[in-house]
Amino acid sequence: MTDPFDLLGVARRFSLDRAALEQRHRDLSRTLHPDRYVQAPPGERRMALDRAVAVNEAFRALRDPLTRAEALLTAHGLSVGDADRPSQALLLEVMDLREALDEGRRTPAKVTALLEQVRARTKSEENLLAAVFDGETPPDAAALARARDALVRLKYFRRFEDEADDALDS
Amino acid sequence: MALFQIFDPTARPTPIGIDLGTTHSLVAYTVDGRPECVLDCDLNPLLPSVVHYLQHGGVMVGTEGKGKAALHPRETLVSVKRFMGRGADDPETRRLGPYDFAMPEPGQSNTVRFKVHGRTVTPVEVSAEILRALRTQAEGKLRTLGGAVITVPAYFDEAQRQATKDAAKLAGVEVLRLLNEPTAAALAYGLDKGRTRGTFAVYDLGGGTFDVTILSLDDGVFQVRSTGGDAQLGGDDMDRLLAEWVFGHLEIDSAQAAPGLVRAVLDAARTAKHDLTDRPDTVIAVDVDGVTFERSIRRTEFEDIVRTVIARTTPAVKRALRDAGLRPDEIDGVILVGGSTRVPAVREHVQSLFGQEPLSDIDPDQVVAFGAAIQANLLAGDGAKDDALILDVIPLSLGLETMGGVAEKILPRNTTIPAGRAQQFTTYADGQTGFEVHVVQGERELAADNRSLAKFTLRGIPLMPAGAAKLEVTFRVDADGMLTVTARELNTGIEQHIEVTPSFGLTGDDVERMLLESYEHAESDLAVRQLRERITDAERVIAATEAALRVDGDLLDEDERAELDGALKALREAIAAQDGKKVHLRTEGLDRATHPLAERRMDRAVQHAMRGRAVQEIEDTVRDRPEHPHLAASYAKDMESEKETR
Repeated sequence: MTDPFDLLGVARRFSLDRAALEQRHRDLSRTLHPDRYVQAPPGERRMALDRAVAVNEAFRALRDPLTRAEALLTAHGLSVGDADRPSQALLLEVMDLREALDEGRRTPAKVTALLEQVRARTKSEENLLAAVFDGETPPDAAALARARDALVRLKYFRRFEDEADDALDS
Repeated sequence: MALFQIFDPTARPTPIGIDLGTTHSLVAYTVDGRPECVLDCDLNPLLPSVVHYLQHGGVMVGTEGKGKAALHPRETLVSVKRFMGRGADDPETRRLGPYDFAMPEPGQSNTVRFKVHGRTVTPVEVSAEILRALRTQAEGKLRTLGGAVITVPAYFDEAQRQATKDAAKLAGVEVLRLLNEPTAAALAYGLDKGRTRGTFAVYDLGGGTFDVTILSLDDGVFQVRSTGGDAQLGGDDMDRLLAEWVFGHLEIDSAQAAPGLVRAVLDAARTAKHDLTDRPDTVIAVDVDGVTFERSIRRTEFEDIVRTVIARTTPAVKRALRDAGLRPDEIDGVILVGGSTRVPAVREHVQSLFGQEPLSDIDPDQVVAFGAAIQANLLAGDGAKDDALILDVIPLSLGLETMGGVAEKILPRNTTIPAGRAQQFTTYADGQTGFEVHVVQGERELAADNRSLAKFTLRGIPLMPAGAAKLEVTFRVDADGMLTVTARELNTGIEQHIEVTPSFGLTGDDVERMLLESYEHAESDLAVRQLRERITDAERVIAATEAALRVDGDLLDEDERAELDGALKALREAIAAQDGKKVHLRTEGLDRATHPLAERRMDRAVQHAMRGRAVQEIEDTVRDRPEHPHLAASYAKDMESEKETR
């Protein structure tokens, strides 16, 4: 897949202006969306469809901080996959959170408090990612390794947030 | 495929928008960009979605057909949309209703079939009759039709969308696009009031389906943020509950009641529901074996009876808001769509959900057809840069069954379409030569709890140890929300590509056969029809190519230009010679010859879009951002609003 930052023409950084990103996505959609090619010959229609799909995928990747961090690591040549092992500390932390969620499941206030706690953790990981990727100089190997660990933690926190949200719904 | 009839070759065909509804259907068009409905001879825009099958062939559609429902309940199909894309054993077939269902015979696809006069008809065929009636109505007014946008509930799954497309094909209606009903309504509202930005919620409670969609409008781009709903919830359910209440007072077991009585009680319930919209009480009257049963009912009683139906819309609304990352007070306007939103208790419910009075200045029965007509007009136009654009989403997650029967989501719900994503898998056994791909749709953890869309097997993988084969499965959803799945083994390049024909749908062969069986096409000469279609296609490609050359001819060098001119000339000669086969081949040839031009035109357009104001804005904002750690603080605030929107 083409690098999403290149495709959307935005700086390869972790922090980005969401409104400007959305604006860019709208501008490219106006140009490439299949609705603009209904009257076009089939070959051109297919070509536009391929590009519109790529633009939407790139937008999706950059819109969410988690996938944006993945894209940044990929752009720096680090493979990111399910193979990334969580640390013992992370596993313990998430296990504790899960237990607390199970116990508090019936009490929305408790679930909300847990969510707040995890969101704060998420925020600090995101600050770490911004520090790695948005500096004056490109990140070195050690910084990239830190970023990858932060990403693994983000993934676990995200999963927990989803579960907690579901618990609030039910 | 172009199936429109040509009366006056010089007149621009009029694109139409069709709202194929559960209770009634409409067709609309635009005059100078403003939508209007096609009226029937009684100046009524609503065609009841009712098809009555006559004893010796032929049908009566609409009001005429509806009049037959009481006497011929089994031969008169009402609310057929509820059965679109459903399996023969679907729970919907066991709910209160007068129909006689046929189970599929060996070799038949597993779709709902109604027994009518000793034969069977599918919901697709019934819907095609409704579409044919709408088409005839529109042709009476507009003469030449130029393709249609047909609306579907946002929450329709793959099978239901495919069934709608099949019905259009049977009816000879060329589909420009399937458009989600709430999005259509928003388009009508957004453009009507000249609004340029804002966030809207669309609450669409129709006869048989419920949709909620959250979308934002920005510079004429309608971007759907989230959508949710229930494809089997609507005003019909209120009628059923009220009918059960009547049966209770009659002391008759509704499951044992004669089909004619079931129909009569359902109709009486619906009438009472309508009466109670603007009256505090009414009388339900039903004729039972020559004795008239009468009972008065107050609106408050009715509201108690249907409360559960209205309450069932709440979780979908809450989830849609959460998926969009918005609180109710962040919604600038709530749009009501669907006849069932006339029920005062529904309005009150919507008001309490969003904390604001909903908008209803466009007739909720017509607003969807209006939006469809506007979209049809946009699609048939030349794609001017400042035209409105709709960015819609998929309503349900699409995924694959993986080890242990777990559903792995490839494209999560609310992904903007068109969308595509590839995922890699590997073999789990040594020497595994086949890989089963099971495509599922839905939000549940286990594949078995989701809707099964298709199963196919990628075969011929050479002997390899477990984990060595690299299988790539690609999902692609087009702008109609239709899915295509491709599976490839990366080491060998073995590939399989399928258009997903949902397990509950009709096969392509079924549709072709029905097409041949339908009287209209059996009479016409197939070869003549094919030639006409091919010439229409060819002329379209020629016109598009010439238009492209006029604007961007400078992108080609002399040789490329000569090749393209040659292909154009050859195709024109084939048309002049009325040689269908040559027309077809040379259309493809011209299409291929235009690829370099198309590619460069698109590059030019993209560069233009990127050079616009947005680049400047993005660069400015990036440059202006204060550096860490202050950045972290302001950034963290962004994250807060962003997190919920993913």
